[in-house]
Amino acid sequence: MYANVFTKTTLDRWKPPLIAAVSLGVLLIFGMAVYRGIDVSFWDELPEAFRSVFGIPDGADVGGLAYGAIYSGYGMLTMAAVALAGGAVSVAGEEKNGTIGLLLGNPVSRTNMALSKAAALVAVTAVAFIILWLAGVATPMVLDVEIGTMDVNALVVMMFVNALFYGMFAFALSGWTGKSSVAAGVSAGVMVVSFIAVGLLPLIDEVAGLAKFFPWYYFSSGEPVLNGISWGDFAILAVGTIAFLVIGVVGVNRRDLRSQSVGTKMIDRLRANPMTHKAAEMLAGTARVSKIWIKTASEHQALLYVIVPVLFLMSVMIGPMFTMLDDTLKSLGEQFPEELLSLFGGGDMGTPEGFYQVEMFGMMIPICVLVVTIVIGTAALAGEEKRNTMGLLLANPVRRSTIVVQKTLTMILYAVIVGLGAFLGVAAGSLLGGLGMDMGNIAATCALATLLGLAFGALALALGAATGLTQIASYGAVGVAVVAFIINGFLPLNDSTAAWAKVSPFYYYLSSDPLINGMPWGHAAILAGLFLILVALSVWLFQRRDLRQTG
Amino acid sequence: MTNNVAIHTQGLTKFYGKVEALVDLNLDIVRGEIFGFLGPNGAGKTTTIRTLMDEIRPTTGSATIAGLDTHTDSVEIRNHIGYIPGDLAMYPNLTGRDTLTYFSNLRGGVDWTYVDALAARLEADLSKKVGDLSTGNRQKVGIIQAFMNKPQVYMMDEPSAGLDPLVQREFQGMMKEAAADGATIFLSSHTLSEVQRVADRVGIIRTGHLVTVEGVQALRSKAIRRVDLYFDNSVDASVFKPIDGVRDVESRNHHVSLSFDGSMEELLRVATSNYTLTDINTQEADLEEIFLTYYREAV
Repeated sequence: MYANVFTKTTLDRWKPPLIAAVSLGVLLIFGMAVYRGIDVSFWDELPEAFRSVFGIPDGADVGGLAYGAIYSGYGMLTMAAVALAGGAVSVAGEEKNGTIGLLLGNPVSRTNMALSKAAALVAVTAVAFIILWLAGVATPMVLDVEIGTMDVNALVVMMFVNALFYGMFAFALSGWTGKSSVAAGVSAGVMVVSFIAVGLLPLIDEVAGLAKFFPWYYFSSGEPVLNGISWGDFAILAVGTIAFLVIGVVGVNRRDLRSQSVGTKMIDRLRANPMTHKAAEMLAGTARVSKIWIKTASEHQALLYVIVPVLFLMSVMIGPMFTMLDDTLKSLGEQFPEELLSLFGGGDMGTPEGFYQVEMFGMMIPICVLVVTIVIGTAALAGEEKRNTMGLLLANPVRRSTIVVQKTLTMILYAVIVGLGAFLGVAAGSLLGGLGMDMGNIAATCALATLLGLAFGALALALGAATGLTQIASYGAVGVAVVAFIINGFLPLNDSTAAWAKVSPFYYYLSSDPLINGMPWGHAAILAGLFLILVALSVWLFQRRDLRQTG
Repeated sequence: MTNNVAIHTQGLTKFYGKVEALVDLNLDIVRGEIFGFLGPNGAGKTTTIRTLMDEIRPTTGSATIAGLDTHTDSVEIRNHIGYIPGDLAMYPNLTGRDTLTYFSNLRGGVDWTYVDALAARLEADLSKKVGDLSTGNRQKVGIIQAFMNKPQVYMMDEPSAGLDPLVQREFQGMMKEAAADGATIFLSSHTLSEVQRVADRVGIIRTGHLVTVEGVQALRSKAIRRVDLYFDNSVDASVFKPIDGVRDVESRNHHVSLSFDGSMEELLRVATSNYTLTDINTQEADLEEIFLTYYREAV
């Protein structure tokens, strides 16, 4: 192993895991503080099965939801995503940047280089989890909250090994392909599918056993916060992690290293073939570069290919699933306190609208729209500056405002497509399940999700317009979105803070129950207004600023 | 400023915080002129070009191109400009032809026969993706992009980077032809032989300050040249030291060599007064020596 490769990689990669860990720590404090101020006796009325799924032990009411939702739930997803992002760029990132040749031009073996990078991944992840552990242990003490028999140490250890599992999975893919986008995409896909499968499969007796084939099972099924570390599960994840490390190192040694070359895609082969040249040219050539907004759209096609089908299929599946689970859910739904459900988008789980709201509209659909709009908003100005192509683009007779407007057009188009995909999926799910949901209301809710995504995409655009920095644009928009989501989810639980939920754009998305009540035009106008103001602000900011030059 | 002036800057100044990147640049470049802009790394060449292109805004001062303000009329100006940025970056996933089509569409179209002629002349392969091209081949696409709309003004920041010598010659020919057709070329380059070959005038910038602007020939003729004098007998170096403009005299056997920027008539008078001069060899300084002299003065 090489200390300097380790150190440099650590210095390059420490920010995302540490920012994520600190954010989750702050959220834990925030969550426990809010729960402390409300009547939590409703927990005792919750069905045992539900408490178990969320890792909520007996007698640990306030801390239970906080650890369950913030750490085991989206905290784990966040930390695993950060780890796999780090794993994906370990070796392939150097290839993408064109620096791998320079690095290996020194007397450095590929094995040791890869091991040094893997060690850096482990180190930054470990430091992040130490922060999570400190926050997890200190928060109940500071807030004087009784956490009962919950085992924070076990939870954090299992989270750590689970995060490393996905990090090393991405590392292995990166080692074999040299493509960071493939490594990140595939490992993130496996993680999300695994998470969803392990959450849903056990609800259906006939297929409950299949959950064991998904790695997330070995993190969540043992309920470490309740039962301590399950050493069998720990061993499976640890062995998998080590196996991926070895596979990754072998991969790096076996293949040709990539240069910055972009590679040949199917469409390129079709263009090269005289038989298909003309049709392919229409798709990929002249048409693709005819306008700024069309070229921007073509650059982000892959996002749609991944997100829309997944979103559509999930939305379709929920309908028949509701029919299958109908009775169980209805009895469960009667026991659920309104306060709890508001965290997951609100709604009565016993009704089709409520079930769709909790399963799809609460988090999944807004996440999908926000990912698309924030990626486009970030790449629009800051991304073009980062690639050093903005100067060349602006050497043509185009106004800066035109560039902002055209790229915003792409953002609108893509947000509408994702919204449409969600609408078609939910509508089909409702028809398949015979749920009889109101199509107009589904359309209204999807339109609100689209507007919500556009507001945050425009925020990324405005941050990029102000700074020209992709990190500020993307982290800024994601950070504000997470805080806004939390504000909208937590503040209504306490009467004294409920009114403040209106500062969150998420409030204008679902607070009026649009799946039942139809389009809240006032709320839609607020989201649309926010979007337009941020786009106008982006134009104003971008026109007044020196362009950045990287390199 | 007359109508013949293509690029005009007045007190153009750019600070990055407290760092003076460009200070009080006053410059007039006339139509049909190739203007070489020289300076060491970080001297302010790229800052000048980026300010003229309205990528960055001057702290004080102003500039015009073809009589139009570089900030307020920047969009109109860009109809008439061809630009190659330093450290050229393009869209890796587009082919050369797609890249040119994209920019051509933003300009309302170009003459593709001319584009193909330029590609043939530079031996550029426009069918490959830009990300798959070598640095030099990528630069060719950048050059075609700058020339394809037959602009009135060319702004070029290190345009020859990565080009092989044959393509460099071809490119120099393209610049000369453009200038002969009345275009103005602002050429920032470290390839001094290229600047010497094509430029009419040269500006030298150092730590943000314009040090001198001269015609290339005037600069060379005023510069110190190396003179070698051969005699039928040994001549002592001290004979030449009193002459104005003589430096670094060395005498070895029948050969005296010296650096000289004074009157040639006086030098010849002394050399032939009491000695028999058998041969003389004088070498005009090339731009590189002049360039180095200007830079060394800064150290």
